[in-house]
Amino acid sequence: MNDPLFEVEHLSLAYPGRRGQRLAPILKDVSFTVERGNALTLVGPSGSGKSSLLRCLNRLEEPTAGTVRFDGRDIQALDPRRLRRGAALVMQTPVVFEGTVRDNLRLRPADVDGDLSEARLGQALVDVGLEGELLDRDAATLSGGEKQRVTIARALLGDPRALLLDEPTSALDPPNAALVVETVSRLREARGLSIVAVTHQPELVRRLGGMLLYLVKGEIQAYERVGDLDTRLQAFLAGERAAGVADVS
Amino acid sequence: MSAGVIDLSLWQLALALLLVAAVAIVSIRQALGLERDLLLGSIRTIVQLYGVGLILAAVFAVARWYWVVLILVVMTGVATHAAVSRLPKPIPGAYGIAAVSLFVSTGATLAYVIGVVVQVRPWYEPQYIIPIAGMILGSSMTSAALAGDRLQGELRVRAAEVETRLALGFSGREAVQPLMRSALRAAMIPVVNGMMTVGLVQLPGMMTGQILAGSSPLLAIRYQIVVVFMQAAATALASLFFIRLIVDRYLTPAHQLRRYLL
Ligand SMILES: Nc1ncnc2c1ncn2[C@@H]1O[C@H](COP(=O)(O)OP(=O)(O)O)[C@@H](O)[C@H]1O
Ligand SMILES: [Mg+2]
Repeated sequence: MNDPLFEVEHLSLAYPGRRGQRLAPILKDVSFTVERGNALTLVGPSGSGKSSLLRCLNRLEEPTAGTVRFDGRDIQALDPRRLRRGAALVMQTPVVFEGTVRDNLRLRPADVDGDLSEARLGQALVDVGLEGELLDRDAATLSGGEKQRVTIARALLGDPRALLLDEPTSALDPPNAALVVETVSRLREARGLSIVAVTHQPELVRRLGGMLLYLVKGEIQAYERVGDLDTRLQAFLAGERAAGVADVS
Repeated sequence: MSAGVIDLSLWQLALALLLVAAVAIVSIRQALGLERDLLLGSIRTIVQLYGVGLILAAVFAVARWYWVVLILVVMTGVATHAAVSRLPKPIPGAYGIAAVSLFVSTGATLAYVIGVVVQVRPWYEPQYIIPIAGMILGSSMTSAALAGDRLQGELRVRAAEVETRLALGFSGREAVQPLMRSALRAAMIPVVNGMMTVGLVQLPGMMTGQILAGSSPLLAIRYQIVVVFMQAAATALASLFFIRLIVDRYLTPAHQLRRYLL
């Protein structure tokens, strides 16, 4: 049971400010691990650094201090392109490219191969609750929620070992949010996919299980097993649900 | 020079100044508030052109290669500054990048036009190399500025798209490729469009000058054709080099987008 996919140690991140200004700290001394086939949920107020933390995991962001290990290796020693195929990030605001949904699902670097058959593309859509016929649709005409699910399907088609999800259900209505939650959880169990998700949806947190990390102003406030959250975190999650607001940031 | 050129006396120049007076009257009447700038602009026009004229006259008189080279260097320096100052967002190293792009695009185009096409001998004959270099530099500068402006705009608007490609495992260069293409197109389209209407709407400046100076229109158009083509080449080269070097400032070796520069 001690088989970490991600090991993050004393991670700090600061953005270079405008000329003459000092660095703005975003993350401060963050340490945690993500077990293989397990989940980690990131929660915290808007602007607390959740998205930035995800971006450090696939090295879209360069930490100012600390180390991130992926599959036992310091990510500094990995080709970032390979790292990013292994740890697929789905951004909060979905980006679809010109062309059909099929074009979007097939989008990948030329040197990467993999099964992109019609059957698999169609199945990928069904997995995220979309119809297979959607393949021929112009991606620009999709709704926000459909785009979000297409980007999740696109990430999964790369056969990643970890999925980094930035508020994957924020643009979805409850039934579709539940469906994506279901898909992601099923994949975690079936494929041994590790999942790091920013979300405030109590259902997703509970369904994913694993660990929960509560971030405030770039610092870890709590790092606990989802099974036995302390009352403060339960209240935090309940409050998010009661207020009916997904984190907007 | 042909005997057909009418000399312009200072009196005649003073008469031309009346045209500016007409502009001033419009400005005052319509309360445009442009009088001060108009005055300054008129003075600068006279002083700058006289200054350049005196320098050129001196260089033409001595016709030494090193003076010509010095003038070309100064011209490149001014063009570099102009191209950089037209970037909407300052980036580190922009001066070096602009200088290299303008030097390479101008140098290559100029060498071909002077050495191979027109076959000026000696190559530093100021009467040819200075105006030709000026036109090439002008095109290079404009297109570099245009391409840089567009690239920065594209990067700001499409940063999420770039990072989405990076997150899918594309290299930095691959991720910005569509943005580079659109910046290059923005820089080159005016030149290509200009080729469609050249001579139909207005006569290009160089051709006008040559005809005024007594050249036959048929010789003037031959030169103008060379000028149009060389400006197209300079445009393509300058914007390509500029964009390629600039875009690298926005990318790290680890295929990251430097968002803090946007
Ligand atoms: N490109 C950037 N430049 C400067 N500051 C940034 C940049 N991106 C994010 N930040 C800051 O970093 C902090 C954390 O942002 P983020 O990771 O998006 O938080 P969250 O996802 O938890 O809302 C915020 O204060 C935000 O303003
Ligand atoms: Mg966020």
